[in-house]
Amino acid sequence: MVEATSTYAGRDEIEALSGARLTAWQHERLREVTDHAYKHVPFYRELWEAAGIGEDAPSSLEDFERFPIIAKDDLIRAGNRWTNPRQGPVAFSTRGTSGDPLLVWLSAEEEETYIPPTMRGFRWAGFRPGMTALLMSPVWHRLAACEAHAIARLGGRCAFFWGSMGPEYLDSFLHSLSSVRPEFVTTTAPFLLSLIRRSTNTTIAPDEILRGVRSVVVVGLPLTPRMREFLRDRLQVDDVFERGGTQEGAALDECQWHTAPHVHEDVCYLEVVDDSGVPVAPGVRGRLIVTKLSAAGSIFVRYDTGDFAAFAPGECPCECGFRRLKIYGRPESSVVVADRRITAYDVRICIEEDADLVGRNVLLIREAGSPAGLLTVAIEGGAQHEAELKARLRQRLGVDTVRIVWLGDLRVNWGFRQVVDSREIRSAGS
Amino acid sequence: MTTENAYLLFDVPGGRLSFGDGELDVWAEHLTWCYRMMGVADGATIAVQDFGSSPISFLGSSLLMPGLPPGVAERINGRFICLDASQERVTLSPALLSQLAVDVLVIRDDVIDLMVAELRKKGFAELARRTTKTIVVFGDQRTAPNPDRAEPWRRLMHVESALLLAPECAQCGCFHLHHGFYEVDGRRIRNLRLNVPPYDLRSGELLAPVGCAAGYGDWRIQLPIRPKGA
Repeated sequence: MVEATSTYAGRDEIEALSGARLTAWQHERLREVTDHAYKHVPFYRELWEAAGIGEDAPSSLEDFERFPIIAKDDLIRAGNRWTNPRQGPVAFSTRGTSGDPLLVWLSAEEEETYIPPTMRGFRWAGFRPGMTALLMSPVWHRLAACEAHAIARLGGRCAFFWGSMGPEYLDSFLHSLSSVRPEFVTTTAPFLLSLIRRSTNTTIAPDEILRGVRSVVVVGLPLTPRMREFLRDRLQVDDVFERGGTQEGAALDECQWHTAPHVHEDVCYLEVVDDSGVPVAPGVRGRLIVTKLSAAGSIFVRYDTGDFAAFAPGECPCECGFRRLKIYGRPESSVVVADRRITAYDVRICIEEDADLVGRNVLLIREAGSPAGLLTVAIEGGAQHEAELKARLRQRLGVDTVRIVWLGDLRVNWGFRQVVDSREIRSAGS
Repeated sequence: MTTENAYLLFDVPGGRLSFGDGELDVWAEHLTWCYRMMGVADGATIAVQDFGSSPISFLGSSLLMPGLPPGVAERINGRFICLDASQERVTLSPALLSQLAVDVLVIRDDVIDLMVAELRKKGFAELARRTTKTIVVFGDQRTAPNPDRAEPWRRLMHVESALLLAPECAQCGCFHLHHGFYEVDGRRIRNLRLNVPPYDLRSGELLAPVGCAAGYGDWRIQLPIRPKGA
């Protein structure tokens, strides 16, 4: 692990705020955003007027709960009525996992507000001046675009490999790792798992791949505790950190205690609500609602990202006043079995209780016409302790029947998907 | 080859581009010149389907790279849409093009067939043709022309490892090597502004300067990819 004393070197002003002071600060930012949106973004003005919300709201964070929750389709339908005069010149696409993708705009003003939390997250993850970071593509995500700026401002060097995050670019990633020799890497968990699996078929030992790398920051998949240990131990890096965020403005980073990613409360106000829109208690899963605390770029006020998340109860030993939130998945990364929603994260937690199965990519299979109560899971690699695993999945997840598809060495483009249609597995195997 | 004190390293096919303080600026200006040479107007919305370590992507805006005060978007007072060139992301592009009036789509040659297939699948072909001009970016690994594919509006020759950017001229149909950026020796093209290996032209002819009013001092590459002046 990164030394405890070094993590908070250079703690910024907002990190020191907590309780009432942080709440008051966020309320002020919310007022700025809603005031701007009311005056300049027709979609929001019409929406709020129809809901009986006046220009002077919200009067408090509680009052903010009166604002209607919106979803992606509302914004796509709104078209130009959602345009912010301060939205900026650069747009990124959401992943379109739940229908059409959405274009999200970034301005210089907004980016300036997101670079400091990126620097903060990287400091938490052990980045230090003089280090070299191998980063994800800046065109891939709005938050990734902030990463190179953050590294440069922290006094580091940025390196980029050729290609994207699919397994077909592993060689390119390996080439950059071996020639740049970075101390800090940002990537995705499925990409790292594919890298480890691939190294088993080559002369490169997994602990050689990331030789010299101190910290790895991963996005795209909620890390289970065992997955983190597996990645750290197999890759022989000091530590592995989970970074979270959405194109719509949520931004989260783990501190060294790994108790759950901290919300960067200076750039986003996050809520977790139940299906009727009522906030749920910490520890209880609900729908993630995002409000971006900047009036620049695309404006998101009470936007339902589609993610299932829960605030972590209690305090983090790091003493940072920021709340902690774990994002578990989305409808597209989960299946419903006999009215019970099961995320890929839940399944991985069960699978990884078996030490021999830790570190394998896992997919939930959606199958047309499958019997009610059947959970189908695809697991990378050969069969291991199948009977015990089935029993454990049935018991922990409360499903009647479990079917396991062992994928062997089948080449699957893992990307960020955690659920696939059974036809894709069949066609990949044919 | 690396530039001394480089703090931005981009691995590209066959090499690496390294930039130190202030070195991105000249390349953003050069890429802007390329767009203007091809006829892209100020204020345009440009969508680029390429990888993040391609100069065509990372020079797109100052928001994408530190040390790039104005990128292409800021220089032409336009907008820049980031579209990653991975297969997964290319399939999303038709839906995005339907949400926004894109003036120019700049797309890598090796993913254009996938894009066209997606456009057809989703019934967006007419929409894309109506609103968007296409610039196809190709390198020295150019794929064979697909007879089913419509002619693009323009082409941009791009050899990543040599940072060779040669736009197709709207006037002469040749690919201009901007005066002051490249030096020609036989079939060898040397980059004068960045420490990268030279590029040996594999096909086509190099035409000496003073042949096109769009760039009197420019060497030009004439490639047998479509009739001159088409």
